[in-house]
Amino acid sequence: MRILVVEDNAELVALLAKGLARSGFSADAVGNAGDAEHSLAAMRYAAIVLDLGLPDQDGLSLLRSIRGRGDSTPVLVLTARDGVSDRVNGLRAGADDYLVKPFAMEELVARLQALLRRPGNLLGRQLTFGNVSLETEGRQVFIDGTVRVFSARETAILEILLRRGGHVVPKRLFEDQLFGLSGDVGSNAVEVYVHRLRKMLADGGATVKIHTVRGVGYLLAEEKAAA
Amino acid sequence: MTRFRSIVSRVVALHIVAIGVTSILMPLALYWLLYEAANGLHRDALRAQALTIASFLHPTAGGGGVTLDIPPEAQPIYSGDYALYAYAILDSEGNVLFTSRPDDAPLSAKKDPLTDDSFTRRRSKGASLIGVNVPRAIGDRLYWIQVGQDLAHRDVIIDDIVASFLPRVAWITFPILLLLLLIDILIFRRALDPVRAASDTAASIGPTSTYVRLSEQSMPTEVVPLVHAVNQALDRLEAGFRAQREFTADMAHELRTPLAIMRARVDTMDDQPPRRSLETDIVNMTRTVNQVLDIAELEAFVVDGGSQADLQAVCADAVAFMAPLAVDSDKTIALTGVETPVWVHGHAEALFRAVRNLVENAIRHTPAGGTIEVDVAADGTVRVLDEGPGVPAADRETIFQRFWRRDRARPGSRGLGLAIVTRVAAAHGGAISVEDRPGGGAVFTLRLQPSRPA
Repeated sequence: MRILVVEDNAELVALLAKGLARSGFSADAVGNAGDAEHSLAAMRYAAIVLDLGLPDQDGLSLLRSIRGRGDSTPVLVLTARDGVSDRVNGLRAGADDYLVKPFAMEELVARLQALLRRPGNLLGRQLTFGNVSLETEGRQVFIDGTVRVFSARETAILEILLRRGGHVVPKRLFEDQLFGLSGDVGSNAVEVYVHRLRKMLADGGATVKIHTVRGVGYLLAEEKAAA
Repeated sequence: MTRFRSIVSRVVALHIVAIGVTSILMPLALYWLLYEAANGLHRDALRAQALTIASFLHPTAGGGGVTLDIPPEAQPIYSGDYALYAYAILDSEGNVLFTSRPDDAPLSAKKDPLTDDSFTRRRSKGASLIGVNVPRAIGDRLYWIQVGQDLAHRDVIIDDIVASFLPRVAWITFPILLLLLLIDILIFRRALDPVRAASDTAASIGPTSTYVRLSEQSMPTEVVPLVHAVNQALDRLEAGFRAQREFTADMAHELRTPLAIMRARVDTMDDQPPRRSLETDIVNMTRTVNQVLDIAELEAFVVDGGSQADLQAVCADAVAFMAPLAVDSDKTIALTGVETPVWVHGHAEALFRAVRNLVENAIRHTPAGGTIEVDVAADGTVRVLDEGPGVPAADRETIFQRFWRRDRARPGSRGLGLAIVTRVAAAHGGAISVEDRPGGGAVFTLRLQPSRPA
């Protein structure tokens, strides 16, 4: 899968290309906005990794011109700016995600994969976290390569958790997505499904676990090797 | 004039003094002018009368003398109960030849009437008399005709006008001067309107609105230099703030880019034991750099007057953000308290960083298996409860200062997090404090100012 990396620091861009290649991406690296425009005109990329501090043009202006011509290629913004007033600027201009330097390579890869897994994007058909994966079209759940039978509601909950693996998913999101606006939800309906799902994951030997963050939501995290 | 600080009050005070002086002096001056004018008119009338009497003088046939021959129809003017005028005709030596007076005395007691063309007045039976001396040559001799009028006579009204003028003029002058004072106050207030508007503008200027300048248009010329100087001072302040912001941005770039390269280099190394420790080092270094940058930015950070944030949502975000770290270190984290929006005066991102640092601090001090609780109250208070060793009473002030830490030997224990919380609390007009948690642990309480929802 081809990724365009727009970053003016030659050393960093080389390391990023190397790291992305290890995770199965092939990265084209350009050092300024002008070259980025040329590359985008010549070729279609699965995603763009965009540094905001470019020598010839502000990264945000480049992002606006990409979005301005109706190009919806997922854009992951990189920035060294993380001031109190900076945080949301990148997302407002049309970025899909936002990563502050320095970042772990696996975080960059995970974020890229999450972007590509969004409905309609290239990786949307299979979701994987730890040794658990879900075929989104066939609705089949695999734990450590073995098919497991989950109910439709449990599969739906697992899908939401897998799409945001490693991050807390607000409880409200489950309620909205599972029960829509019908409003006919018992206050602990989600808890009941999560409880059952948690047990089934444990019974199936999953390396991931659903943690309850009381008052906020649920977190699918990988169990540490020792556990 | 130190007692009167406002220009208007100074004007009013000076004006009242001026009114006092004017309302005394002006009637007096007017009275004097009117009196002079009236006397002049009176004398002119008397002179005309003297010329009329002169026309009744005729030289005697033998020469050397004159006779006075007043026609009978004119007689009542000079004698009797209704006499308007008194007259006396003197020769050049001052001897009275004819007079309307019964005592044959001249009207003017002056010894030498020749030098006084218009004698003025004298007392006679309690009444004032005004009169003129008019010379008249008849034949080859010079005669003086004196005509006088008793001011007490009921048909003489000129002096009555003058006498009644003073109180009337005083009573008209005073209200007119007061009206003038009121008009002046209005004029001054209008002239100072631009100054008032400029004050309102100046009051709105803060670190987030350093571009605002005071308008020099329609400003009184006297105030323009002050306004100009203030605007120039604002230019310098704005440049200072811009330099501060640019410095923070430059530092962020200068510090984070090498860290990013380092991190990427370590991440693309083969998995060897040194790689894990280097990663940990970079993570710790990154946290310190982030905290230093936060502190640098927050030094100049001021919350916009009108901005408000949902504290409940901010805490939910912070708990969600920190939950992976808590779970990773076998700790449980929970958000309790109010579940509806809690609006406080503040900047959501700054408050997020404060709560995040409190949670990070709590996670660090809670042993594995323990629980961190973030409790939001409807009055704009957040309590972060940990299950750590608590904070000794002696350290409860110093703990919020920069780079303070309880155990310097303990890795990963930095004191910047609480300094950030302190700075954010101060910027919001809030407060941060720490107490013991009943049953063990510490409770950090961040108090903010509640506001109404947007």
